[in-house]
Amino acid sequence: MLAKRIIACLDVRDGRVVKGRRFLGLRDAGDPVERALAYRDDGIDEIVVLDVSATLESRLANRRTIEAIARALDVPLTVGGGVREIDDVARLLDAGADKVSINSAALARPQLLSDAASRFGSQCVVISIDARRDANGYAIASHSASRPYARDPFDWARQAQTLGAGEVLLTSIDRDGSREGFDLDLVRGVSAAVSLPVVASGGASTPESFASVLQAGADAALGASIFHDGDARASDVKRACRARGLTVRP
Amino acid sequence: MRPCVGIVALGAANRRSIESALERAGAATRFVSEPVAVGPCDALVIPGVAHFGFVAGELDRGELRPALLAACAAGVPILGICVGYQLLFECSEEAPQAQGLGIFSGTVRRLRTPRVPHMGWNSIEPLADSSAIGRGWAYFANAFAPDPDVPNAIATTSDGIDRFASAAQAGTVSGVQFHPERSGAYGAQLLERFVRSAATAYVG
Repeated sequence: MLAKRIIACLDVRDGRVVKGRRFLGLRDAGDPVERALAYRDDGIDEIVVLDVSATLESRLANRRTIEAIARALDVPLTVGGGVREIDDVARLLDAGADKVSINSAALARPQLLSDAASRFGSQCVVISIDARRDANGYAIASHSASRPYARDPFDWARQAQTLGAGEVLLTSIDRDGSREGFDLDLVRGVSAAVSLPVVASGGASTPESFASVLQAGADAALGASIFHDGDARASDVKRACRARGLTVRP
Repeated sequence: MRPCVGIVALGAANRRSIESALERAGAATRFVSEPVAVGPCDALVIPGVAHFGFVAGELDRGELRPALLAACAAGVPILGICVGYQLLFECSEEAPQAQGLGIFSGTVRRLRTPRVPHMGWNSIEPLADSSAIGRGWAYFANAFAPDPDVPNAIATTSDGIDRFASAAQAGTVSGVQFHPERSGAYGAQLLERFVRSAATAYVG
């Protein structure tokens, strides 16, 4: 039976883990390799590393940071930040990533998803979607949530699937760093729109909040601040999931 | 001395990830991208993360196909991972025109399950008559896999709806649908066993 995944996200900038709220006000949260290994020891199922200033600075995610994490880690590693072309995907894989997450560049040029999938396989291509509530429902944004698009995340997720993406990393901009719980409506909507695995991100508050979003249809749930601040460990989250009858890796 | 494990570089894999894991498991590693590089290796790993059609094409472009088949015939331990595992079979629905190595009989087909790719940790269930692989949890990222009853299957895995062969073995050639390089202690044990087999391949 496929287990639901608990993922820790390391937002990195200048070789350090940082975390803000609603993508703003970044503060230091430690050394990326130390954090990744500590979370691995706590039973985390996967690590996501996002270089949060890469796209804004028009560069690819920091190779040295990725290599250091990848060399030490023995659970899956997804990397995102500043991917603009197919060779960037190759570069991140070569730095040790197992999956590569693409956000802004896929919105600008959706063909990038199909090019990446036909070379590396869909299982390696993650479409990262940042969305916030608006008067009409939900709308997406790119460039670390700084550029709004008049487009809903459900339609974009469907198109990304058709193009060849193999997983959706879905972040609620409103809930990012808020500790208010995941946006369950957003996750339900995207899970229903696609047949890809969906990773829910933004708003992790308690171990039970992970269980709730997994029950709402997410295949994996991702936390950052909750783990960085030591308010819960992966083992606590898994205990809460088991108590609700969810299958998680021992 | 550390046995030398050649990582077959087919242009698209997460080869650094495999390289680090093999080194943690006690191997010296080198990337193999041309036939002449196959010879000095004590064992070979064919890594995953790619499209079946792409890697099958790379095999022919680099003339690696005959070199790998010769290594197989000579009893060199070979481990295929994910797409590298699928490549050991005859062909795949992912690229019907492309040819696999055909070391294992059987074909690779798309998973018949509502959510594809099959992404995440799942349990490895060894077949009753096999001691070649242990029970445990491993990390998968695949949309395709061989049927559970292919002749060389040694373990199967189910996503709750569809069951497939998650590991196979014939002589010194083995393959796993999951990623041992990213499967924690379970994967590390499998790779350590493989590296030990490389160290003793020519003894006795």
